[in-house]
This record gives sequence, structure tokens and C-alpha cells, in this order.
Amino acid sequence: MMGFIIRRLLQLPLVLFVVVALTFFLVWLIPGNPMLQEGRQPPQEIVDAMNRQYQLDSPVTFFGGYVARVTGIGWVMGWNDAPFDLGPSMRNPDWTVNEIIGAGFPISATIGLGAIAIALIIGTIAGLVGGLKPGSWLDAGTQLIALIGISVPSFVTGSFLIVLFAAKFRIFPIAGWGTPVHAFLPMLTLSLPFAAYIARLLRFGLVEQMTTDHLRTARAKGLSRRQAAWRHALKNAFLPVLSFLGPATAVAMTGSFVVEKVFAVPGLGRHFVDAVLGKDITLVMGVVLVYAVLLIVLNLVVDVLYAWIDPRIDLANTGSR
Amino acid sequence: MRWIVAFFLIIATIVLARALLTFDPSRLPAEIKFASSDVFTLDPQRMSYMQDLRISRSLFDGLCSRDSQTGLPTPAVATSWETSPDAKTWTFHLRPDARWTNGDPVTSMDFRNAWRRLLLPDTAADYSELLFPVRGASEFFAWRTNALAQYAAGKNHDAQSAKALWDSTLAAFDQMVGIRTPDSHTLVIELQSPVPYWLDLCAFQTLAPINQASLDRFTRIDPISGFLKSDPGWTKPGVLITNGPMKLVDWKYKRSMRLEPNEMYVGPNMPLAKSVEVIPIEDANTAVLAYESGSIDWISDLTAEFRADLAESSRKWLDRHREEYELRMNAGASVDEALAALPAPDPAMGERRDVHVLSAFGTDFWSFNCRALLSNGQPNPFANASVRRAFALAVDKVRLTTSVTRLNESVATTIVPRGSIDGYVSPTGLPFDVVRAREEMASAGWIDRTGDGIVENAAGEPFPIVDMLYMTGNPRVKNIAIALAAMWRDALGVQCELRGKDGKFAKEDLRRGNFMIARGGWYGDYADPTTFLDLAKTGNGNNDRAFSNARFDALLEQAAAELDAEKRLKILSEAERLLVEEELPMLPLCQYVTLYMYDPAKMRGISRSPRLDQRLSRLHRVDEQSASPSP
Repeated sequence: MMGFIIRRLLQLPLVLFVVVALTFFLVWLIPGNPMLQEGRQPPQEIVDAMNRQYQLDSPVTFFGGYVARVTGIGWVMGWNDAPFDLGPSMRNPDWTVNEIIGAGFPISATIGLGAIAIALIIGTIAGLVGGLKPGSWLDAGTQLIALIGISVPSFVTGSFLIVLFAAKFRIFPIAGWGTPVHAFLPMLTLSLPFAAYIARLLRFGLVEQMTTDHLRTARAKGLSRRQAAWRHALKNAFLPVLSFLGPATAVAMTGSFVVEKVFAVPGLGRHFVDAVLGKDITLVMGVVLVYAVLLIVLNLVVDVLYAWIDPRIDLANTGSR
Repeated sequence: MRWIVAFFLIIATIVLARALLTFDPSRLPAEIKFASSDVFTLDPQRMSYMQDLRISRSLFDGLCSRDSQTGLPTPAVATSWETSPDAKTWTFHLRPDARWTNGDPVTSMDFRNAWRRLLLPDTAADYSELLFPVRGASEFFAWRTNALAQYAAGKNHDAQSAKALWDSTLAAFDQMVGIRTPDSHTLVIELQSPVPYWLDLCAFQTLAPINQASLDRFTRIDPISGFLKSDPGWTKPGVLITNGPMKLVDWKYKRSMRLEPNEMYVGPNMPLAKSVEVIPIEDANTAVLAYESGSIDWISDLTAEFRADLAESSRKWLDRHREEYELRMNAGASVDEALAALPAPDPAMGERRDVHVLSAFGTDFWSFNCRALLSNGQPNPFANASVRRAFALAVDKVRLTTSVTRLNESVATTIVPRGSIDGYVSPTGLPFDVVRAREEMASAGWIDRTGDGIVENAAGEPFPIVDMLYMTGNPRVKNIAIALAAMWRDALGVQCELRGKDGKFAKEDLRRGNFMIARGGWYGDYADPTTFLDLAKTGNGNNDRAFSNARFDALLEQAAAELDAEKRLKILSEAERLLVEEELPMLPLCQYVTLYMYDPAKMRGISRSPRLDQRLSRLHRVDEQSASPSP
């Protein structure tokens, strides 16, 4: 088990390097100059000067300098003042990428974790309701709602929730960030597609499990349908949900652009999209780096939890599941 | 196994705890909260966005400020000034009691340092050119640019040679540029030639002073490039040293910024609000909802798609009380006072009083590509001025503003907003005249020879499909583009193709000349026609049209050399006539308007001058009771 975790963590730097290099390649291809804004056009001399100052005149120097600064090699060699410095943001002269991620990530993470928690509660309940009585009108109802949950985009549900709960009933504030009540509507909006997906996964998992031999044995021993499901089927039916949860949590935690925009939440998703549109090379790479680390770590967590829930899975021998 | 799970649980708890720390429910809500676009920078020399300049106006006091009603320059840090008889030397006397937030006196050196910074290519200031009228300023800028290029090409890239370059730069500035400080509170500026709008420039925020000591801690000379580099960080709350009526107490990235009165401040712009908070709300509809629910008091740029309907509701209400409103205005009330004193609007009748349409010092226009060839090598029909005139004559601008934008902007036939500059007589420009438009097309050889509704040239080739480039993200622009295409199709017999692109990509196409007609527009920076006319100068960095006309350039040069202010404006008027009646590199549509949303019975202090240079320090809340009419 430990060997497996260590092996996966050792792969991390290599994966990250490939991700960063690919991202850099793609961002570099975006036309335009991150230093130029819409509207006024500075004289060409200034544009050239800025390009040189930010090493935008040569992708090789830029990328080399970036890798040295981010990894801490530059710090060890004495080129940079600090290790793990993601650099200055190119579109925000007053902020470093570290500051922007430091400000945005906790907010996106709060909304993301909250959304996953809400999604788990709603999704599990809905999945159980349907899975225990497949074919009933309750099952059809929850499946229909789940389908709507997956299909309706967040900007519709978000706007709807704002109009209903914030503008009409004034239970929640409309926009911004500052108190826990600010977080609830964004969490709920973000959770709905996840909840719907979880409900469907769980429902089909349960239906399948209920027909297996060991469940029939359990029923034969005198357990009621509900007891059998609760004690024996749920754990196995939950496995697909679990493997969905890893990447889902990473997606939710790194911020949904749509939800953050609709609710004017200053999270990482918004910063990322703004960065891409503005060709803010350093900020794009910084956020992608954070996202990659998160995705890898959460997938690792899921693999470990898998082995814990299902003892048949042997991480030490298979390397991965 | 279990300890691994426990370990992950602990990590999750830490993440959650860190996340919850982003809440700060204990903070008191600010007196005035308003929605704005994101602040780009608080570095006064690097700013160019309107929302940044608006904050800067409360954080930094320059030599002059602009009167919020008349728009004319008034004293700020400078209490008085005189000019030499040849109007080339200006002497400013600074307030002896002006202080920075750290207690240091504001001196003439602070202005000199800031202006030197503005003139360094290292700073990458968008507005360096504003100082080019100063003797030696553009030469110094060019000198430093060249010196940096030579340094980059040279062999020595160590700290010593970088320092030597910087020292010689300081010496060059002292020697070349006409900015002198005879004593700590006197600033003498020598201009290349008289500049009638010089005081207006002195009120521009990028010419604000700077506390050099606070900046020096974050500045270093980069040995590789020789640049003077400032690290981000010096503009953060607690670090930024300012001299304006308010100070920065909080700034969270794209989340909020809070200003409070600066107790060290002495000067003409004493703050009225106890605290002002800027909340960036990107989504236009969310901003309206936040306003409606009372979370914000002012939307500083109302862009929601239904804004024309909102404006209509306000107009309806005002029309019903027009007489009483005029009465109060004639009695000397301000617009907001008069509005607040009128009977409250009736929501049942779809009325409201909080949407304000303010005309701005800017012109909405479309650009014609004036290059001989298009970027794909094909001949450009718009290189012919007759074709440009035809397209301009064929646009029904009144219909555009009444039924397309539906904001009733004033229709423009000139580039410089009519009546915006004292003493400047605007040329007439071209009317809406379809018959004349067709004649112009015919004179350029484009006639419908086959009777299919499309014009062809003598060789029988149809007019190329007109490539119309516009920036996506603003429905107003797209609607105008659609309407223009229809007008040109019906009036001139040409096919148009709309090409919407995101801002950055569109800008790249503009730069490369990859368009036939493109959406343009410009806001003036200072009270002089040249702030608009320079756009058409040969080689100007903002001349996206690549328009070049020797006569026009000569007129601008002649005006720059003219000492008599009245004669100078006459020459400029002739230059503009050339643009808007003969050459038409751009097609002016209408004056820009900005929509504000605020309730005059709750908040005051908004300036209605077209420059829209709001002072946050002047905003304040009013008691709704006292604002309503006395029985």
C-alpha cells in the first residue's frame, strides 16, 4: 500500500512537467500580446520593452526561466528570491500568480467541497429511492429530475435560484463573497449536476447488485429487501460513485466559471477564464498546475479508498486498479 | 489502512478551515458600495482604464483637479501657477501643508520623480505621450529606449553596468527634460511650444505624484535587461503611500476594494463618505439584481441587455413631472436634487428614477480600412474615398439610435463631440442622403449593371463581400453591425458579412489590417480636438485604419505651431472637416453615453460632466426623508 502511494507520488513531477509544457505550448499559440489592452495602443518601443522585460520575445528563455522559478531550482542556484514562485501575472501588474491563486483557490474550494457534500446527500437519497424500487413511479420521478439536473446548464439554475431566493424572497444575498450565506446558493447551483449524476450511478449500481448471488443469499437468510440493500448492496453499489467523486471533486474545487460569474464570486474558475481570454500566460499555467496536482492527488485518494471499501482490490500488486 | 484515511480526513479539514477563513462577516458594510469593472492597477503612471483612474482620483491629488460641474481645471496640490509671456514656461506653487499618508510632505520632487517614471519606457505607461509636450521629453524617451536596446545588445550584463546605465539615465533626464524644482514646493515646467490644454493635462491622473521612497523598496535594476523593474506589491493596502482625500484600506483580488478618508489630507477635495467599497460584478444582470436588492448603491456602467427598457422607465417618469423638474432646475437645484424632490415613481406604471443616461466625451464610430490592398492581397475598394463617403452617406443614424440601440444618443457627424470644447466650431459632416450615396458609388465605378441588385465595376465584377469586423461580448455592437449591413445592402447594393471576434483577436486583425470595415470608437483624454484628431495622423499607434493624408498631417502640424488659440482651433476645425466631409477614414455614428444606476434620493455626489471623472470622495448617502419634498 505505502509503496503504491509513494510510486504514484514519484510520478507526480513528471506528469506535472508534461502538463505544464503542453499548456505553455497552447497558451503561447493564442494570438496577441498579453501586455496590450483593448483601447489605447502604446508606442511600439514600449511594447518591445515589455516583451523583453517579461521574456515574451523568446519562448525558450521564458519556459526555461519559468520552470527554474517554479520548481525552486532557480532559488537553489540563487537566481530567484524565493522557491515555488509562479511569477507575476501578466494581465494584473499589481498581483503575483501566487497571490491570485491564494485568494481564489480557497473560495473555489469552499464552494466545490460544499457542492460535493450537498451532491452526495441529494444524490444518495435520490439514488436509494429509485434503486430500491426500480420501475416504480418514485424511481421514474427521481430519474426524470436527475436527467433535468444533468441537462439544465448552471447559468440557468443559478439565475433561477438568484431570482427566486435572493431577489424575490431575499433569503440569500445576490452576489459577492464575505459570509457563509454568500456561499450557499453557488454551492447548491454547482451541486445539482453532480447530484444528478450520483443519483443515476447509485440507482443503477443498486439495481445490479440486488440481483447478485450474495444478495439473494442474504435475502434467503431472512433479511428484508431494505436491510439487504443497506448492509450488503450499498457498499458495492457505491464503488462507481466513488470513482466518479475523485475527478468530480477536483473539477468542483478548481471552480466553475459559470457559477462564479453568475454569483460574482471571486474564485479560481473566473480568474482562469479571464486569464485565457487575456493570454495571461503565467496565470493560466499556475492554475493548470494547481488543477493537475489536485486531480492527481484526489485520484490517488479514490484509489486508496477503493481498496479500503473493496478488499478484493490489491493495490500493491496491480499498480493501479 | 485506517490511518491513511484519517490522514486524508485531516488534510480535508485543513483545506476546509483555510477556505472558511476567506469569510469576513465581522466587517462593517461601507457607506457607499458600487459595482465597477475590475481594477487593473493602482499604479498611477500605468493606468489607462476608466475604473482605475476613478479610484486614483480619490487616492492621488495631482497639481490640478477638474471641476465636477464645469470640467475646468482647478487647484489641487498646486495652489497657484503662472506662465511666462511666451506661454512656454509654467511655474506651479505647491501647498506647503500637503502630506503623504506616511506624514512626509508632498514636494515638487515627488512630481518630478513621477513624471520621470511616466517617461521611462521601462514603466510601460500607456500615457507616456501625454508628457511629450514638455521640452526634451520625447527625446529622453527615445534616448532611454535606445540605451536599453544597446544594453541588451551589449556584452556586460552585470549589476554594475546596469547601475551605470541607470545613473546615466538620471543624468540624461536632468540634462534633457524641462522639469525643474527650484525648491521643494515650486515646480517649473518648460514646454516645447505653447499647449493650450496644458492645465487639463495637469489634472490627468497619470500625472499624479509618487512617494519615491515607498516605491524604491519594490524597485530594482534588472542586470539582464537593464530595466528598472517594480515588483507587484507596492500598491497593496498598508504599503501604498498616497496623498489624496482617501486611502486604500483593503483590496482583495477581483473581490472588493475599500477606501476610507485620509486623515492626513488637506486640500480642496475633502471626502464626504466615511467609506466607499468597490465591488467588481462581471455579470451585467447580477449587477442589476444586486442593486435592486440593496447590496450596492451605484452601478457605474449599466450594460445589461435590457438597459434601454430601464432607461425608458426613467424617461417616462421624468416626462410626467417634466414641468416641476424644470422649475426646480431653474431655481438652482442640481439634477439629483431636482430628481429626488419629484414625486416618487409609480412601479405599477413601470416607472423608475434610478437610471441615468449621461453623455460621454467619446464618439462611437466604425473604421474603414484605408490601405490600398487588403491583408489577403486583394485590392481594397475602401481605399477610394468616394466609396467611404458613399457608405457614410447611406447610414440612417437617427434610426440606429432610436430603434437599434434605443438609447437616443446624439447622432454624430464629427469625430470630436460637438460642443464639447470651448471655442471649437465643429464642421458639418455628411448627412443621411441615399441618393448622394449612390452617386458617390457610381462615381467610383460601382453601378448595378446586371440588374441583380448588386453593384458591379466596369469589368463586371461584383462589389466584394464587405468584411465587417466587430468585437463580441457587447450586444449593442452586434445590433449596430446588423443594422449597418442591412442599410448598406438596401441603399448601395452591396453584400456584407459580419465577423464577430473576441477583443484580443479582433485587435490583432485590426493591427494587421485584416478587415474592410471595423467597429471603432474613442474617448477623449483631454479638452482639445487633437485628442480625437491624432487618431487619423499618419503612423499614429491608434490609427487602425492606416489612413494617411498629407494635407491633414500638414494641418495638424500647422496647428501645433500656431500660437494664437483661436486661429489654432480654426485650423483644427478645417482638419476635421477634411476627415468627416471628404476623406472619411472613420464613419462617426453617435456620441457615447454611459448609463448609471443610482437613486438620487439615497446617494449624491455624481458628476454629470461628459468627462465622467467621478470622485469617490464626493459620494455620500442622503437621508431619504430629508430628500423628499416638503409638504
